[in-house]
Amino acid sequence: MNGPYPPPGGPVPGGPPPHGYQPPGYGPAMPPGPPAAPPGYGQMPPARFSAGVHRLHPATALLRAFVFWLIYFVLLGFPLLLTRRGEELVLFAPEAVRRFALVSIPVTVAAVVVGIWGWLALRFWVAGDELVVETGLLRKRRRLIPLSRVQAIDVVRPLMTRLTGLAEVRVEAAGGDRAEICLRYLGRGAAQRLRAELLALAAGLPGHTPEAPEQPFWRVPFGTLFLSLISRLPVAAAGVLFLTALMASLSLLEPGFFSVAVTTLLGLIGSVIAPLVTYGGFTVAISPDGLRLRHGLLETRMQTVPPGRVQAVAIVEPVLWRQRGWARVEATVAGYAGERQALSSVLLPVAPRQVAVALVAQVFPGANVDAVPLLPASAKGLSLDRFAAAGTDDVVFVTRRGLLCRRTEVIAHARAQSVRLTSGPLQRLFGLGTVHVDAPSGPVRVAAIDRDLPEARLIVESTAERARRARAHTRSDPTRWAR
Amino acid sequence: MPYGPAAPPGGAFDPPAGGDWHRVSPRLRWHRRITAVLTALPVALIGAWWVHQGGGALGVVLWLALVAVSCAMAWIVAELAYRSLGYAERAEDLLVTSGVFVRRLVVVPYGRMQLVDVTAGLLERWMGIATVRLHTAAAATDARIPGLPAAEAAQLRDRLAQKGEARSMGL
Repeated sequence: MNGPYPPPGGPVPGGPPPHGYQPPGYGPAMPPGPPAAPPGYGQMPPARFSAGVHRLHPATALLRAFVFWLIYFVLLGFPLLLTRRGEELVLFAPEAVRRFALVSIPVTVAAVVVGIWGWLALRFWVAGDELVVETGLLRKRRRLIPLSRVQAIDVVRPLMTRLTGLAEVRVEAAGGDRAEICLRYLGRGAAQRLRAELLALAAGLPGHTPEAPEQPFWRVPFGTLFLSLISRLPVAAAGVLFLTALMASLSLLEPGFFSVAVTTLLGLIGSVIAPLVTYGGFTVAISPDGLRLRHGLLETRMQTVPPGRVQAVAIVEPVLWRQRGWARVEATVAGYAGERQALSSVLLPVAPRQVAVALVAQVFPGANVDAVPLLPASAKGLSLDRFAAAGTDDVVFVTRRGLLCRRTEVIAHARAQSVRLTSGPLQRLFGLGTVHVDAPSGPVRVAAIDRDLPEARLIVESTAERARRARAHTRSDPTRWAR
Repeated sequence: MPYGPAAPPGGAFDPPAGGDWHRVSPRLRWHRRITAVLTALPVALIGAWWVHQGGGALGVVLWLALVAVSCAMAWIVAELAYRSLGYAERAEDLLVTSGVFVRRLVVVPYGRMQLVDVTAGLLERWMGIATVRLHTAAAATDARIPGLPAAEAAQLRDRLAQKGEARSMGL
């Protein structure tokens, strides 16, 4: 049933979800997998992207022409329709309409030509081991993305294209800010198929391999997400400030307090409503070609992170979440840079801690974060953080820090880029040092702070040795994971 | 004597067992000192002129004394920085240690190196030294070896590139 894929790695990790958090839709009521037949893409037979040259969805040309025309209309077209008669402005005066038509007809033609030109100019195909995207009709520009370097594939459906059944495919390759490819827009079904084919090819399977089966892992109920967003200290403080300012402005009728209230309300909207919309309906599923995350209320986003692409993970527990046993999982994925990193670094916005730990075990096979013995940092230092601790086993290096918002940061030895020991002037006064295990830049920074210097050096040496062994163990590239 | 006065207690920044740090060229000290003087001169002159406009001769003297003290500090730091700098090539990784105020020790596995580059500024070229820099996928790695004699820098780069090639494993 799994076809060419190896069976998924064991049962759903973490066993049954902990009691009390059984989300209503967990299990059979998962969002449907890939739609069986893409309805909105009728006339074309299901295309195989691994053969032949392909273009974007033809509607893209119309969409682009429309946007072009809209810009023209706002900037130039609408003023043309207005005529000044004496003191007042008149809309649709006969000579204005004539003038408008005279300018608009060529502009419309130009818009259509631009749209069709843009559609004709972009072609993409798969050549051997690479995805090739060629742009330009007269001067051609070609970009090659080695499929073995693909870090993640996202299928995004912005709000505007939700109605038209179009979707955007983003292919992330390692290597900085410009190393992504955006194919906007493809038909919804075509986007799904392209994603599946690219992943299959990247895994080292033939392109016509059916999409890998997936196993639901967790679904974040809306209520939990909302509660978790409002029970954070900054949000709670802002809420208190808002209420006080509102009361003060109502009782004292002082405009100053009212503006404070409005500002805090805007801040609250930004820090509660925006994440609610982004992460609403968050589901995590596990398949042989990686983690599949789906989320978004307005703009829906489906991310696929292939195995071995997550560089480091953090389990974040804000102080108000801890009594409920909630945690958030953030990750560094090498492909995402800059703004996309911030948008895509959340693997799980809120879940019981056991689920978070189980997800980390999925990402780094063989890791059990809670079983790693953590040794507290030296008490000699000036740091107030008495939760700071670090520990390691053969698979992962784990550090914990944060007095209020506790972060447990995890990196697999096999993924460590380098090991550093630093010791600032104050730390040297107390004979302390900090050991960093470096990952590509992202939200996770693994650092064991305030270790005694001799111990720190031992940690460095043992970590370097474990990393060497872990790399030797996974000798082959993490690419081609299905071979 | 692996370390000067900056040696930390416990020898956490000592060379790996059974070896010693490779030292860089002593010309690095002079490179730093010349750089310090070259920056101090315009700062001293422009500052002195500016102070002279506003205050009296006392201000100018104080200003020049301040610049001279900074230069003397830079002079000493150049010596300490030179003494703290060292690298060691092991079978599987490269160790680099450096830093006067913040002491650092970086262990970079050869298989993780994305690229190695050699840079030499105008002054560095004139003095016949160069900087070798290792890049991994992590920006924080920051393994720089400044002040290598130019020929040694080229050799080190080639050796590192070769070892990296043999052990490369992507991200």
